[in-house]
Amino acid sequence: MGCFPAFVPDSHLPFHRPSDAVHSTSSANLALGSEMAETIIEDVGELETPLGRRGFLRWVSGACAAVIAALVGVPAVRALLAPATAKPLTDAWIKVADDTALLDIGTPVRLDFVQNQADAWIDGRAMNSVWLYTEDGDTFKAYNGHCTHLGCGYVYDKDRKTFICPCHRGQFDVKTGAVLAGPPPRPLDELPVQVRDAAVYVKYHDFRLGVPERVEA
Amino acid sequence: MRTLTAWIDQRVDLAGIRRTLLDRKMPGGLTWWHTLGSATLTVFMVQVTTGIVLAMYYAPSPDHARDSIRYLETTVASGALLRGIHHWGSSAMVVLVLAHMIRVFTMGAYKYPREINWLLGVGLLFIVLGFGFTGYLLPWDQKAYWATQVGTNIAGTTPFIGGALVKLLRGGSQLGAATLSRFFALHVLLLPVLLGLVVLLHLALVVRQGIAPRTAVLEAGAPERTSDPEYAGFYNGSYSRSKAGGVPFWPNIIAKDLIVAAVVVVTLFLLARFVGAGLEAPADPSDTSYVPRPEWYFLPFFQLLKLVPGSLEAAVAIGFPAAIVAALLVLPFVDRGSTRSLRRRPAAAGALVVVLGGASLLLGAAARDEPKGGGAAGLELGSAERSGRALFKRQQCGSCHLLAGETQEKKADAPDAPDLTEVGLKHSGAWIHSFLEDPARFHPDSKMPAFGPPTLSHQEIEELSRYLVTLRGPNGANRQPEFRDTFPEPVKPKE
Repeated sequence: MGCFPAFVPDSHLPFHRPSDAVHSTSSANLALGSEMAETIIEDVGELETPLGRRGFLRWVSGACAAVIAALVGVPAVRALLAPATAKPLTDAWIKVADDTALLDIGTPVRLDFVQNQADAWIDGRAMNSVWLYTEDGDTFKAYNGHCTHLGCGYVYDKDRKTFICPCHRGQFDVKTGAVLAGPPPRPLDELPVQVRDAAVYVKYHDFRLGVPERVEA
Repeated sequence: MRTLTAWIDQRVDLAGIRRTLLDRKMPGGLTWWHTLGSATLTVFMVQVTTGIVLAMYYAPSPDHARDSIRYLETTVASGALLRGIHHWGSSAMVVLVLAHMIRVFTMGAYKYPREINWLLGVGLLFIVLGFGFTGYLLPWDQKAYWATQVGTNIAGTTPFIGGALVKLLRGGSQLGAATLSRFFALHVLLLPVLLGLVVLLHLALVVRQGIAPRTAVLEAGAPERTSDPEYAGFYNGSYSRSKAGGVPFWPNIIAKDLIVAAVVVVTLFLLARFVGAGLEAPADPSDTSYVPRPEWYFLPFFQLLKLVPGSLEAAVAIGFPAAIVAALLVLPFVDRGSTRSLRRRPAAAGALVVVLGGASLLLGAAARDEPKGGGAAGLELGSAERSGRALFKRQQCGSCHLLAGETQEKKADAPDAPDLTEVGLKHSGAWIHSFLEDPARFHPDSKMPAFGPPTLSHQEIEELSRYLVTLRGPNGANRQPEFRDTFPEPVKPKE
C-alpha cells in the first residue's frame, strides 16, 4: 500500500524482534500477524525522528485517508462533472421547407421540424422550430425559435409586425432580429440558411440563453 | 480559521467532543482483527459515494436500465471504473461484515455487556445482504433477471404467505418494470437510510461501551457465568484496568484502522480497474436456456437447495435461513459462560468450523458446477444467432457434440464428435456453413449427417453457422480466433 515502507528504510531498527521484547502475547488471540504489525508500530515509537510516535501515526493516518479519498473521490468527481465538458452535438443541415415558392413574402413563418437526437442513453427525437423570413423569395433569414431571454417560444404579431415573446413581453425586429423592447439580452439567434433545389435547409443550433454574448449552449 | 474554530468551540464544546470521540482510551493490545468494523464502515462510505454518482446515470426501467449502464460505461468519464468499485464494494461489504462477525464470535465479544450491539450487527448483516439482492437486479441483464427470478421464487415457497410475499417482492405477479422500480427504491432510498441509522446506533454503543478487549483480560478470576450477580462488578474492574494501560483512540487506533481501510480500497480500485463489473446481454424472459446464478455470497445457499430432494426444498429454502437468523439472535442469551477465548469454548469452535467448512464446501461445489462459459459467453446474440441456437437444440446437435454450458445430455451410444465449446475460435462462419451442408465432402468417413437442403434450408444453415461462430469458450470475448479452415479440392467435372 505504501504507507509504511516509505518510512522504514530511515529507521536503523530491525523490522522483526522477538515478540516478547515488545509485549507479552500470552493471551490466545487469533491475531495472525498482529505481533509483527504491533512490533512495527512500537518500534516506530522508539524512533528518534522529529515527528515522534504520535506524529508518525498521524502522518500514516493522513496518508491512508488521502489514498482512500483520491481513489474513490477522483473517479466520482470526474463522472459527476463529466457533463460540464461534454462536446456540443454536431450540427447538420435540416430541411425545413420543401419549396420556396410556397413561403409568404414579407411575413415570417414558423417551421417545426423533428430531428433524430441521442438523448443520453435514449435514441430520441427532438422537436424544434425556426422562424423563416424573406423579402424577395430568394434570400432567407432563419431565427432559432427560442427567445434569447429565457427560451420561451415567441410569436409573430401581425398588427405591429414584430416578434413578441409572451413570457416577458420581449420584442424583436423581424428583418434583423434586433431587440426592440423588453428584457432579452441579445438579438435573436440567426441560423445559417441554404437553398438547394428550391428547398430550404437550416443548420439548427441552440445557444446559451440569458447572456448578452452568443456562446455555445 | 483559528478564530472560527474558537467561535464554534465556545458554542458546541469541540474540545469535549474531541475528548469523548478521539482522546478516549482504548484497551491495550488490540489486534488487527479489531479493524474489520471500521474497514466495513469505510467501504459503506465508498458505496454511498459511488452509488450517488451511479444513480445520476441510471434509469430504473426495463427499457432503459441496461442502456443507461452501457452509456455510463462507454461515455461517462471514469464511469466504468466507478461502477467497478461499486460492484466489488458490494462483495467487500459482505466479506468484511462476515469477517467482523467471525472476529466478534471468536473473541466472545457478543457476551456481556455487548448483547445489544451483537443484535444490531446481525441486523446490519441482513441489511447488507438486502443491498446485494436488490442491487443485483438493477443492470437488468440476463444474470440480473434470472437470479432475481429464482430469488423471488424462493420467497414464494414460504408456507401460507408465499404467494402474497412473492407478489409483494415483485410489485406484481410478474418480474418486470414494477420489480425494477421497487428494487431501485429499496436499494437507494430505504436500505441506505436503514443501514445508516443502525450503523449510528452500532457505533454509538461502541463509543459508549468501549471496544471489547483481548480475551485474556476478561478471563482471569471471572465468575463462572456472565449472568452471575457479581459478574458486572468483575467486568467493570477488569475493563477499566485494561483501559488504564491502553492507548488513545487518536491517532494510535485510527492509524491502524486507516491502514487496513486503505488496503481494502486499493484492492477495490485494482479489481475495478482490471476486472471491472461486466454486463451481460439484455434480460430475455423467453430465453429458457439461461442458467441462473446468484451473486457468489448467496451461492452456498443456492447449492444447498440443489442438494436437497424436491419434497424438502420448500422447507430448506425457508427453514434454513430462518434457523440461521434465530441462532444468531439467541446466541448472546443462550451462551452465558464467561469464557471468551475460542480455545476454551469447544462447542463454539465446533459450530464455527461446521458453518465455515459447510459454506466453503458448498461454495466449492457451486464453483465446480459452474457452466464453463459455454454458449455464447460474453457475446451478445442477435436474432439470427438466437434462431441458430434454437436449431442447434431442435436438431439435437448436442446428442453427439459436447458443448459446455448447454444442458443436453450426450447419448451413450452416440458416435464421438468434436467438442464444439470453442468452435468459434477455430473455424470461420463460411467454413462452418459449407461443412454443415455436406460433411462428407471434407471428411469422406465422417459420421455426421449432411444438413444441406432438404434437411435444413440455406437460411437455417446460415443461422446455425452464425450461432456456432459465437461459441468461444470461457472468457471468449477476450480471445482472438485463429481459423484453421481447409476446404476440399473442388470436384472436377468428369470429362
